[in-house]
Amino acid sequence: MHMILIRNLRHTYPGTRRQSARNALRDLSLEIPAGQFCILSGPNGSGKSTLFRILCGLAAPSSGSVSIGGHDLATAPERIRPLMGVVFQSPAVDKNLSVQENLTLHADLHGLRGTAAGRMTEALAWSDLKDRLGDRVETLSGGLARQVELAKCLMTRPQILLLDEPTTGLDPASRRSFILALRRLQRDRKMTVLMTSHVFSDAEFADSVAILRDGALMAHDTPDRLKAMVGTEMVVIRPRDPAAFATVLETGFSRRPVRYGDELRIENIPPAEAVPLIAAVLDHHRADVLSIGVKQPDLEDVFVHVTGRGAAFAADAEPSDSRARQPELTA
Amino acid sequence: MTSPKTAAVALESTTVTLPDTALPAGDLPAPRLLGPAFALARREFTRFIRQPHRVIGSLGQPLLFWIFLGAGFTPSFRPPGMEGMTYMEYFYPGVLMMMILFASIFSTITVIEDRDQGFLQGVLVAPVPRLAIVLGKVAGGSSIALFQSFLLLLAVPFLGLPVTLSGIALVVMAMVLSAFGYTALGFAIAWRMKSTSGFHAIMMIFLMPLWLLSGALFPTAGVPGWLSTAMALNPVAHALTIVRAPFYADAATALASPAYLTSLAVVVGWVALCLWWCASRVSRRDKGVQG
Repeated sequence: MHMILIRNLRHTYPGTRRQSARNALRDLSLEIPAGQFCILSGPNGSGKSTLFRILCGLAAPSSGSVSIGGHDLATAPERIRPLMGVVFQSPAVDKNLSVQENLTLHADLHGLRGTAAGRMTEALAWSDLKDRLGDRVETLSGGLARQVELAKCLMTRPQILLLDEPTTGLDPASRRSFILALRRLQRDRKMTVLMTSHVFSDAEFADSVAILRDGALMAHDTPDRLKAMVGTEMVVIRPRDPAAFATVLETGFSRRPVRYGDELRIENIPPAEAVPLIAAVLDHHRADVLSIGVKQPDLEDVFVHVTGRGAAFAADAEPSDSRARQPELTA
Repeated sequence: MTSPKTAAVALESTTVTLPDTALPAGDLPAPRLLGPAFALARREFTRFIRQPHRVIGSLGQPLLFWIFLGAGFTPSFRPPGMEGMTYMEYFYPGVLMMMILFASIFSTITVIEDRDQGFLQGVLVAPVPRLAIVLGKVAGGSSIALFQSFLLLLAVPFLGLPVTLSGIALVVMAMVLSAFGYTALGFAIAWRMKSTSGFHAIMMIFLMPLWLLSGALFPTAGVPGWLSTAMALNPVAHALTIVRAPFYADAATALASPAYLTSLAVVVGWVALCLWWCASRVSRRDKGVQG
């Protein structure tokens, strides 16, 4: 069963006198099966935040439908709200209140009177907050404050958890422990999790990763299969003049590089050819090359690949199963 | 719930499988209005108490107004038919009203702060009726305003007003109604505002006239016609009527007076209207347009 089912979603922000109307989502369709941990990624302005606002019921789309837990979001939001926990990017806790007061307030909003104490213990069991219950949230570190957000949401035992960039502003260690705790909770409680993230190390833990660009879904697959799209190895070159060197590579080495910022990438190189290619490039063009290396693709490379040249990708989408799942890509 | 295996299969499938059964939404208990509203109101008041400068500022300003203006105007205050009344005494209900008005409206600045800091969106996604969010915020703001004005009410015994116990009960009721009306008004205006400075500007050009034309500063008798019309339309003037009258009459006398009852009806209607306005604003979602 699909826990979150998004069909042909479009969202256009109304124009103002100074700004014309803006399409944030263009015909987006996405399905997230129950019990999955899905990461939603994409560059700034790709429509992630808009999608997130629609999913948590704060905005109504121009057209298309969203069904969560089998309920239609447009007509029955009051049936969906009790199923859902939402962790926002900006903290939705009151910094002037203590941890305990925040949790109690949340319990009251959800009508958990009576069961609140037990639920609180349960929601805090995984966290590092047990000795900090009486402290005001403003005195907590960023990582602990994030734990309050998550604990707050867990109190209502949600079946669906939506998180918007929950690891923003955390140091790598706190980020990792937050994600690991989240992943464990998600498995234990069989929750469906949809989380937006910029951080590719986050995505390694996910069941599936959806990549958005310009309001459309570019890819949605498991991390492994997404990585396979880029091939097994790639050569990454930082030349002095990327534009000129791209021509050099195409004419002199018959390789068509992908430019990303100052980098040129030759993707999907058979393992045996990478080192000879590097040697050949250095032999002839040592002075033009700042750095060169061979690299195993990670999710960041997938992201670069998918969002950096989305149109080309759509035309030569290699894995047939991926094409079948996203028929809108071939359009 | 599906097992990981079936979930994986679902990811493979190319066809759209519509969920056959909808998840029970905790079989949707009757909308709880008062519990969540009370929780939000309590949070509002707790925050206020934890910011001492807010308490001092909101208490000090009307008190200074009252003492300075009262002392300054008393020698020249001789309105017809109010002989023997000092300006300190005349102005007292007006100061009460000012305190309620300003404290109520400015407590709703926290709507903008809540939105800014993200607290509000957490409340909006909670499964509570939208009216509960309004009531919580409005009751919280009102309780802050009433807390301050009740402190000022302690001055009553020293003013020599002919007030009765039942009269005081009516005064308190009028204060509660006024506080709700003003807070709801501030809430509705603050809801869409992006900055607190913008809110300050709007409220100053909007609030000051409401209060100035309420009869708080000067008696309504003998003012020019246009001013008297403006005062008759001003809900704050009616709120002031129902606050001032019970200081000079016991409850039975006040409730028998048509003028008092008219003002009471206007204030009740205005509170209801403002609350409805708030609820309709909160229920509105940003709608995408066809493009």
